[in-house]
Amino acid sequence: MTEPALDYFLADKPGAELTHSLIAEACQTLRRNRNECLATLGNEQIISKLAEVANLWRSPDYPLRKMALTADPAETGFPREVLAAGLDACFAEWTQKKFFMLLTQEFGDPTRLQSFASQPNRTFSMVNGPQLTAHIAPGNLPVPVFQSIAFGLLLRSAQFVKCASGKSLLPRLFGHSLHFVEPGMAAALEIAEWDGGNESLESALFAEADCVTVNGSDKTVESIRQRLPLAKRLAGHGHRVSFGYVEKQANEVMGTQTVISHAADDVVAWNQHGCLSPHVIYVEENGSLNPARFADMLAGELEARNETMPRGPISIREAAAISTARRFYKIRAANNAGAALWESEDSTDWTVVHEDEKQFQTSPLNRFIFVKPIEHIDEALHVLEPIREFVSTVGIAASEARMRDLALPLAEWGVPRICELGQMQRPPLGWRHDGRPPLGELIRWTDLETG
Amino acid sequence: MTTFTSLNEACDAVTAFIRQCGDNPHADGFDELALGLFAIQFAHNAPFANFCRAENRTPETVADWRDIPPVPMRAFKPLDLTVLPEAKRETVFRSSGTTQTDRSRHFHNRETLAVYHASLGPWFAEHLAGESANRLLFLFPELSQAPESSLVHMMNAVAKGEHCFVADGEWRIDGNAAVDFLHDCATQNEPVTILGTAFSFVHLLDHLDADAIDFQLPTGSAAMETGGYKGRSREVPKAGLHQAIAAKFGMASGRIICEYGMCELSSQAYDGKLGQANAAPRLFRFPPWARARIVSPETFAEVELGQAGLLQVVDLANVGSALSLLTEDLAKRHADGFELLGRAEPAESRGCSLMNLTHD
Repeated sequence: MTEPALDYFLADKPGAELTHSLIAEACQTLRRNRNECLATLGNEQIISKLAEVANLWRSPDYPLRKMALTADPAETGFPREVLAAGLDACFAEWTQKKFFMLLTQEFGDPTRLQSFASQPNRTFSMVNGPQLTAHIAPGNLPVPVFQSIAFGLLLRSAQFVKCASGKSLLPRLFGHSLHFVEPGMAAALEIAEWDGGNESLESALFAEADCVTVNGSDKTVESIRQRLPLAKRLAGHGHRVSFGYVEKQANEVMGTQTVISHAADDVVAWNQHGCLSPHVIYVEENGSLNPARFADMLAGELEARNETMPRGPISIREAAAISTARRFYKIRAANNAGAALWESEDSTDWTVVHEDEKQFQTSPLNRFIFVKPIEHIDEALHVLEPIREFVSTVGIAASEARMRDLALPLAEWGVPRICELGQMQRPPLGWRHDGRPPLGELIRWTDLETG
Repeated sequence: MTTFTSLNEACDAVTAFIRQCGDNPHADGFDELALGLFAIQFAHNAPFANFCRAENRTPETVADWRDIPPVPMRAFKPLDLTVLPEAKRETVFRSSGTTQTDRSRHFHNRETLAVYHASLGPWFAEHLAGESANRLLFLFPELSQAPESSLVHMMNAVAKGEHCFVADGEWRIDGNAAVDFLHDCATQNEPVTILGTAFSFVHLLDHLDADAIDFQLPTGSAAMETGGYKGRSREVPKAGLHQAIAAKFGMASGRIICEYGMCELSSQAYDGKLGQANAAPRLFRFPPWARARIVSPETFAEVELGQAGLLQVVDLANVGSALSLLTEDLAKRHADGFELLGRAEPAESRGCSLMNLTHD
């Protein structure tokens, strides 16, 4: 198969001039196309097509995958190896079984999407997705966009995906794979790109859409919330932060190298971009693996990973953020001021900072990780109080029993997702972003009370 | 290499060099003085010396001023980066910040403070006071109101002729006092230079907007804006702010000069001179006794002309602290100055409001 020509979505046409009326017309066309095809498909058909798309993307020879992997990293945001690993992790989750599990998780009975189904209280209920959903895509990772589109299809929603300028390549390639597998499904999908905040284009989009999803900064979410009519549904996800937690016996239960390797998995995945990647890894003191030793070993592992999965080039701005932070910790380390630093030579490829100060610290990302000692989980929750409402994921290294013990206070404190260290950037298909139901917050229930 | 036997001797030598540069901007001596200062700072500034040893760069091994290890700006927060023993720290300049621990501290005694004054005067005069004896409106507090601000020290030092300070110790502008002063300048046909931080200009412009006041200031009037909002007002992009200033006061945008300075430095850069064309892009220049280098954040080597990198400043007037500093600003290297490109932080992934929680 030769390289396919990409000419289907608005974002495929770089010269196309977008106007308020063009966006409005595109939305109306999407609705019509949705009614003619997507709305008539059953769960089985949609899910089998999604699984087929995922299988294609996992195949090394798939032309669209190859296009993604050979694209300029400046356009995708990631070097080849990092992108390939991220795509594989995402699409491995997209099996028919898991899609059905997701529908069951959200609605109890998947047939509720197509007809009324009984409830335990002997009434009947049905769910309907929005007829047209607008997605405001994040600029950092492609996976949330793929997932949003898949969820929209499951709900039989026409979808308009708005990408930031210059960030539409991966969503487009994904859209083209849908078009290839099932043109009827792709006919209810549009992808366009412009710089966020364009009032003229966005007012058209918001007027047409029944529901808007936003992944972006809190500022972006807030700005859209203010511009959206009250009757429209908004599913907004602002930026969040995550951290790792290594219980003091983890290395005895799992093996030290395994713990280190899992920590490196999370630092390397998507080069730490995205809300699920750790900024800090807390390591419990008084175990057989002390935090400074952990930092030292993690540094060795990151150096090794840089051989097999290079971090790749980053912008001057990102590199400058790393090198100024590094220098700050170097001068502190030289003065025994409670900090030590390990770094890649002659590059900003990876950095490990061990710091006695326990407060949460945001990382400049791109494989820059803080390791901090902590006495126990209660102390962690105490020092993390200032970021309580911003935490997304906690990745834990511990025995299963200890993990359950730790999960309880974390859940009560407000953490929406707790997983094994090493899996932070590999959430399951049905994970609840910010603790909210992934499909449940987009749909409307209709209850039928028959007496 | 010049060897200094005391801090006072070093202060005198730098002051003499600054005077010499006034007569001849290309005067020799920078390299020697830089190495001499490095030696005395290495000997008496312990945190700096520890850093140099860790970097394997000591006065024994460094023969070029470019190799003096640059101190990261942020290190002025947790560490006492000074050659002065505690009893001799007569003046402290602090950066703005909400708590004591997240503010930089730059210590001075009488002699090092005198070097600060010797450095700021001539370069300010060359860029802002060259052509006429304008009246000066300072959107700053008096020194007694904000004694720990290096910028307020500087403004009070350059206040000559008829002038007025209109901010209080909390940096709040007395809008009416500013209007009265400007109104008087306009009616007397006396050109005026308005000096302020970006946020003070925003406050003043808001005040004038609220009262629907516009000025057509006399020909020769000008403005000096120095960057930074520090969360004290809404942030306005630089071009927009300058347009607003030009429109509100009736002056050409070429009459607005930007100053670049900070409490950790003792010299300032300006992006133009009054009375000159100041072509775009505006380039900042430090005086001959402070040199800017634009270095690669990956390797710390100086970048090629036209390339961007981190701004490093080697400032001889920083006699009592550390002369080589690494800022957190990105800049593009030009043959005759540098273009500021903004702070060194990734846009998207750190764009979260939370990120301000723990940094700075």
